[in-house]
Amino acid sequence: MSETPAAKPPEEPKGPGLCGQFLKDHGIATTRLPDSCGVETIEIDGAHLEAAMKLLRGSSEIKLDYLVAVSGVDSADTFDSVYQLWSYSNNNELIIKVRVKKTDVVEGQLPLVPSLSRFWSAANWHERETYDLVGIRYYGHPYLRRILNVWDWDGHPLRRDYKQLVDALNDKAPGSFR
Amino acid sequence: MAEGNVQGPSEVPDELKDTVTLTTLEKMIEAMGDLLSPVVSPIANAARSNSVWPLTFGTSCCAIEMMSVGMSKFDISRFGSEVFRATPRQADMIITAGTITRKMAPALITLYEQLPEPKYVIAMGACTVTGGMFNDSYSVVQGVDRIIPVDIYLPGCPPRPEGILDALLKLQQKIRTESYAERKKKKYRQNAVRYVDYDTGRPLEDLVDEARYETALALDPLKSLQESK
Ligand code: SF4
Repeated sequence: MSETPAAKPPEEPKGPGLCGQFLKDHGIATTRLPDSCGVETIEIDGAHLEAAMKLLRGSSEIKLDYLVAVSGVDSADTFDSVYQLWSYSNNNELIIKVRVKKTDVVEGQLPLVPSLSRFWSAANWHERETYDLVGIRYYGHPYLRRILNVWDWDGHPLRRDYKQLVDALNDKAPGSFR
Repeated sequence: MAEGNVQGPSEVPDELKDTVTLTTLEKMIEAMGDLLSPVVSPIANAARSNSVWPLTFGTSCCAIEMMSVGMSKFDISRFGSEVFRATPRQADMIITAGTITRKMAPALITLYEQLPEPKYVIAMGACTVTGGMFNDSYSVVQGVDRIIPVDIYLPGCPPRPEGILDALLKLQQKIRTESYAERKKKKYRQNAVRYVDYDTGRPLEDLVDEARYETALALDPLKSLQESK
């Protein structure tokens, strides 16, 4: 690892990959992003997310029927909601990103992404966790509440602008060893 | 914490009087007080120090070592900590085995309050001594002594089972040397330093102060006028 020179920016992929082509054939536009660790990565508009997921899960040739994880990233200028899919029968993976520009987020509100948990219950807790830590509001979620932190927590800890609360449980007392 | 500990004995409020029960032995000792203490304390202490039953309280990886020390290879019952009790009403000691998060803190305080007196705490592992590798984490209580009084600190990540046994022996020494009458008089407060209100998540002391202040204002509105001027 140490011998490799400074990392080059990843090459832009040529055309749509397997799943991107499949979605294109079914009339859903996607943008291909640089592969993440050799796994095809696509960006999709939030409005088409649910239809795309249903297609990818239900079709016999793609059959991405296992939702590994839903996570969130606070990138420099976007909030990303990241879905990792896996297919047992084809031994295939796909990563889907829904990006919400920070400039599009209404002041004082959370970025909005449609929820998958109505038809894919695996997403339920993952979306609650992402809401808790990154602060993405999944609309249509049946029970969007904090899952890891206490219900009246202030802010979302994995945000870039999160300020840690200082109180009697974590202050640096003069006598303490910290 | 230092100032909080030197307060005098707290009066049992009238509405709680019937929930506080004293055994005959305790009543007797209370009556005889310091007179009987030098005689009874060594006997009672020897008995108590050899039957410190821990509470089953494990919140993360340290709990694995705590389980191991209860099994036959290390066998904590050789030292009188016979079984891990699953309810605080039957236990004498908490080994705080594992990270205490802010969400867990009110539960730990409740468990500590539910232990019958005399009660002891061993802070096991770096996490509960100082916050350990979760230093500056947003969700971890940086040292369990911020919420409950700790008798023995046991560092390590995790400590070996021998370490737990050593901590237990140290605790037994401590129990043997203490005076029952002094402890009864509550020379230092044996309750959690911080009650947290479940609804608001704020320390109860603050809420009580606030309520007192508001009551005073309501009773004496002129005072608030004077204060605002
Ligand atoms: S001190 Fe180490 S082993 Fe113990 S709970 Fe903390 S991280 Fe786990």
